[in-house]
Amino acid sequence: MLWVDKHRPKTLDKVIVHEQVAQNLKKFVAEQDCPHLLFYGPPGSGKKTLIMALIKQMFGAGVDKVKMENKTWKIDTGTRTFDLELAMLSSSHHVEMNPSDAGFQDRYVVQEVIKEMAKSRPIDAKGKRAFKVLVLNEVDKLSREAQHSLRRTMEKYSASCRLILCCNSSSKVTEAVRSRCLNVRVNAPTEDQIVQVLEFIGKKENLQLPFGFAARIAAQSNRNLRRAILFFETCKVQQYPFSANQVAPPLDWEQYVSEIATEILSEQSPKRLYSVRQKFYELLVNCIPPESILKKLLTELMKKLDSDLKHEVCHWAAHYEHKMRLGSKAIFHLEAFVAKFMSIYKEFLCAAFG
Amino acid sequence: MSSDIRKWFMKPHDKNAGAAKPSAAGAAAGAPKKPVLSIPEKAAPSSVPGNQDASARRKTSKYFAPKTEKDADVAEKSSSKRKLQKSSEDLENDIKPSAANKVLKDEEDDDDDFVSPLKKKTPVKPPPLKKLKAASNDDDQDERMDEDAETPSKSAGRGRGRGRGGRGAGAAHGKTTSHDDDGGDDRMDEDAKTPSKAAGRGRGRGRGRVGRGGGTAHGKTTTGLDDEGEEDRMDEDDKTPSKAAARGRGGRGAGATPGGRGRGGGGRGFMNFGERKDPPHKGEKEVPEGAPDCLAGLTFVISGTLDSLEREEAGDLIKRYGGRVTGSISKKTSYLLADEDIGGVKSNKAKDLGVPFLTEDGLFDMIRKSKPAKAPVNKHEGNSNSEKLQKSQTKSSPVKAERRAVDQVGAMGKSTPSKSNKESNSTNNQKVKVVDRGSLQWTEKYRPKVPNDIVGNQSMVKQLHDWLKSWEGQFLHSGQKGKGKKQVDGGAKKAVLLSGPPGIGKTTTAKVVSQMLGLQAIEVNASDSRGKADSKIEKGVGGSTSNSIKELISNATLNYSDNRTKKPKAVLIMDEVDGMSAGDRGGVADLIASIKISKIPIVCICNDRYSQKLKSLVNYCLLLNFRKPTKQQMGKRLMEIARKEGIQAQENAMEELAERVHGDIRMALNHLQYMSLSQSVVKYDDIRLRLNSSSKDEDISPFTAVDKLFGFNGGRLRMDERIDLSMSDPDLVPLIIQENYINYRPSAVGKDDSGVKRMNYLARAAESIADGDIVNVQIRRYRQWQLSQAACLASSIVPAALMHGNREVLEAGERNFNRFGGWLGKYSTTSKNKRLLEDVHSHILASQQANLDREALRLDYLTLLLRQLTDPLKTMPKEEAVQKVVEFMDTYSLSQEDFDTLVELSKFKGHPNPMDGIQPAVKSALTKAYKQGSSSRVVRSADLINIPGMKKTLKKRVAAILEPLDDSLPEETGVASAEGDEEELSETENDDELVPGDSKPKLDLQSDNKKGIQVQLNLKSNGTSSSAKKAPARSKTLGSAGKAVGGPGGKRKK
Repeated sequence: MLWVDKHRPKTLDKVIVHEQVAQNLKKFVAEQDCPHLLFYGPPGSGKKTLIMALIKQMFGAGVDKVKMENKTWKIDTGTRTFDLELAMLSSSHHVEMNPSDAGFQDRYVVQEVIKEMAKSRPIDAKGKRAFKVLVLNEVDKLSREAQHSLRRTMEKYSASCRLILCCNSSSKVTEAVRSRCLNVRVNAPTEDQIVQVLEFIGKKENLQLPFGFAARIAAQSNRNLRRAILFFETCKVQQYPFSANQVAPPLDWEQYVSEIATEILSEQSPKRLYSVRQKFYELLVNCIPPESILKKLLTELMKKLDSDLKHEVCHWAAHYEHKMRLGSKAIFHLEAFVAKFMSIYKEFLCAAFG
Repeated sequence: MSSDIRKWFMKPHDKNAGAAKPSAAGAAAGAPKKPVLSIPEKAAPSSVPGNQDASARRKTSKYFAPKTEKDADVAEKSSSKRKLQKSSEDLENDIKPSAANKVLKDEEDDDDDFVSPLKKKTPVKPPPLKKLKAASNDDDQDERMDEDAETPSKSAGRGRGRGRGGRGAGAAHGKTTSHDDDGGDDRMDEDAKTPSKAAGRGRGRGRGRVGRGGGTAHGKTTTGLDDEGEEDRMDEDDKTPSKAAARGRGGRGAGATPGGRGRGGGGRGFMNFGERKDPPHKGEKEVPEGAPDCLAGLTFVISGTLDSLEREEAGDLIKRYGGRVTGSISKKTSYLLADEDIGGVKSNKAKDLGVPFLTEDGLFDMIRKSKPAKAPVNKHEGNSNSEKLQKSQTKSSPVKAERRAVDQVGAMGKSTPSKSNKESNSTNNQKVKVVDRGSLQWTEKYRPKVPNDIVGNQSMVKQLHDWLKSWEGQFLHSGQKGKGKKQVDGGAKKAVLLSGPPGIGKTTTAKVVSQMLGLQAIEVNASDSRGKADSKIEKGVGGSTSNSIKELISNATLNYSDNRTKKPKAVLIMDEVDGMSAGDRGGVADLIASIKISKIPIVCICNDRYSQKLKSLVNYCLLLNFRKPTKQQMGKRLMEIARKEGIQAQENAMEELAERVHGDIRMALNHLQYMSLSQSVVKYDDIRLRLNSSSKDEDISPFTAVDKLFGFNGGRLRMDERIDLSMSDPDLVPLIIQENYINYRPSAVGKDDSGVKRMNYLARAAESIADGDIVNVQIRRYRQWQLSQAACLASSIVPAALMHGNREVLEAGERNFNRFGGWLGKYSTTSKNKRLLEDVHSHILASQQANLDREALRLDYLTLLLRQLTDPLKTMPKEEAVQKVVEFMDTYSLSQEDFDTLVELSKFKGHPNPMDGIQPAVKSALTKAYKQGSSSRVVRSADLINIPGMKKTLKKRVAAILEPLDDSLPEETGVASAEGDEEELSETENDDELVPGDSKPKLDLQSDNKKGIQVQLNLKSNGTSSSAKKAPARSKTLGSAGKAVGGPGGKRKK
């Protein structure tokens, strides 16, 4: 088993990084009730870990008995009926799903599916919680319509059901939904905290960490705890005992993106644009989310960019990311960004060096 | 002061008309009382004897007649603007105080046209007189003009300048127009405008030298016009087809000439005109007029660049006078038309064959000479009027542009009556004929009566004839004698299928041939019900449900049995069989059945024989594919008909007609009949004009559309053409454009050493394509179909307008053709991979070891997961490695397919394959080890299972609860039949805890694999949402559980 999962804290008591948050959550457990919750924070900060730990403490071991199901719902919109398929992970106490998987039909997930789940009260109360917990992931990716439908559901079925929402950016969740939840901000762990975790794992695994090794990995991880631990283990797989200046090999896709960045900077021509397009396709085909590609690409470009251009390039990156979210064919927007960048950069080079 | 300009525009008219001046004055004097838009009243100038410019104007006005109001508005607007510009700029034109003029103009815009020339005219001294003189003799004048062109002496230059004044400006305008099309973005606009400005200035200078004011103003005017009248411009565009642009360019060159600049050089600097240069003296020469058909019987080949005409124009000119233009030299060629001996293939061959060379001037002379000197003035008015209209239309369309803005209304007044006169004349003429013409549609009237009348496809006709003739002998008698001998002999088919585009005479052929053979043709077409009759086809007429076809083929009164009583035999013509659909349920199948039992021959007719519907029918039919007749064949026939109808028609006009309708004789006849209503003489130009707009719609492939949009002349397409092109396939065209726009070197960029400009264009095109994507989302997701034009603009037209030019090859070895859009393929791969990743994801989730989202799985986990999976295989000894990897896979309940998915997803082009360095032996050991373990493996994941024999996949994935395998569970050999009710099944599965049995080891796995394949096939044929690839994975993952459900007599363990 990977260390990330192996050393994941199973209860709130064992949480190392967000102790404060964990303490607060524990109070809900003590009270045997909780409001709707909205966890938000960057990836790899521990939202899911906290949620699972919370649920587990609330309901006990029963939540471990989960089944994975791919359910199909018949949706009748009045004008047409269609089937909606969605994977969900459920135990007798909680249901976890990712409504944004339904794409632009996510509205129906919220309207129909969640309603249906939320309506039924759990039968085997047995003195335990008389409510179900519905964990919704990636709420920020829900369409606006879906979020609007969500707020009604939240109020209407609050007696039998608690929603735990989980997302990266709370700004993409509508005000109305946010105000109906207790917002829990889960910060990205600081590098010190990451080092602390890594050392904890190292101790458990009986590893010898050279001085500064954990700090280096923490720095490389960009304050993403999950990634840090994965890096850590990668290093272990790569070479043990660790050498003094060992670094984890970069992630495959990140490496690929930085190659693209180098290509773009070295030559700006239609030909290069074409080959960059091929590489983008390669990344997209390998299921790398376009937003991540753009972000990483920008970071890589920034490293080598003249400071005069930084502002403008950032502006365009934001511009195209926005358009990318509005559109559906990500490659067009990625390509447009690269073309724009090439145009700007080339002009800049010509102006600077003739 | 604005009137000055108008006077310039009037000038050619005055010059040529000579005598018209007074009358114009008279008109002007009389006019002021009339309201601005009272067009018909302005009849005065119409008396001008057929001089070219007048006719041109007449043309213009005729053309714009319906738009008069708007145009007048535009004129007003533009003139006021002009005024502004002029007052600041014009120094010379103070003869007339602007204020006074303004008053006048405010009152009556069009009056100025007539007043001002008069006033302006007076100061002008000798040259106009000379011109006037020249104008008195039509023939002479042409010659002189030509001379002038050749020898730019000062006075000549002026004469010319004036003569062409309007044209030059108009041309510049036309030019601009053609550019503005390019998607209406600023840059293009600028580009387009600059030249026109330049041209205007050039002119201005030239004129200034001669002492004429208004030159500068003139140039400006043009620009001004450009600036304001978007509408105006569009109007013009609509009216003047591609010619406008071409002419326009020429005009600009001409405009520059008087200024003493390099002739026609103005244009080339900023626009690369592709492979062929522009004619150096484009539009400068007066195209002569000659006697109709003066070139009849001559064949020309055009080579290289001509002096003043575009090749297309030259071709038109020749055809107009009855000559032929061919592409390559042969012995029959009369002349090689070339102005410069570029020593190409054509000229070499011409020398070899002794074909004489002819220059453009020579051609003009030829045409000119042919014109009978005696040609009465009246002739212009009456007979050749239409011809001339046409001519000036094609030739001087740009003139119209600006002239319309200025003196449109007046001209309109002039021309309308004359036109109506003419029309009434011709209708009078025709009335006589109409009487004996009858009301029959020509297509019916001239339907071929004998097979020899059929145009083209004679071999098909013969084949059909032979087939019908031999049919009886082949099928009936042999059928009677020996029943087993039905389909035996060779490829003899019992039915025949005629296919080919509409209007080329398939139905006619079938009818005529059967008529000739004395068979009674029974036609059944889409208007008759042709549905399936009864399952027992033999029931025939007796069956109450039998349909008409059945009756026909088996009816006793029609079939062969009556043959003996010498009654006519019948043939069934099934027309439009590809139209059998919807209402005609089972029609084709029934038809086939009918063919099998038929006792009369059946002739099926369709347009598209590759249609999906006809696939089965094709096997039973003799296929006869009709082709479009050649234009010569059709031309001949059309000539015949025209002669019979008393229409004078040029042969090449008919051929042109044939070409325009793409071989559809029916349509050609309809056009001809329609034309015959208004004119008795059909000339080449009539056809050109009439059919330019109404040319038959063609299917264009997306590739052709993209080629045209990106083509070198893509910038000259009209907006509606572009929309048509990109709408020809609104899904594919944008994709192909997106795929290929990088490959084009935009011609609009011009000189661009560093490539910055091109990069800039690319960026803008890419941006626009991205915009198009956003609009597309709105269309698809929110069904905002009204946005489809915007989408097509953003995703196709703008990028094409920016990037059109020459295509370049970016990758070595690539063919220089547009690639098919790569997006579709990549998208499907992406979604396939996403599904696979989702499988992995759900497996991992089900393992309860990790709780992560898909993105994190791909972005963060994947690298390490893969390492954990592959590294041991590379480094450790086989046994140990395999064990370790299987263990790891079990922890995360990864299946072998997941393993493959992970490997697949981390493959990058140009990076080492993660599987490199793993011995095949190790791989197979892994597979073996995994399979070994699978019998005892806990089923952790939920998967879709398709049950053979069931139509749909299960509604719910079979779920398994994750619990340690409880071996002690009593094995209740499930009897639930796999074929059982779907609902029940899924329910039980849901409720039951599906724990795989460990009792059926290897053998089951084997059969499982087979099942997997079968499942896959089923999935494909069912077209269900789950991927084909998933299925095998499924059943294997599930191990025996999968089999329990899917396997025959599946055993389910409880």
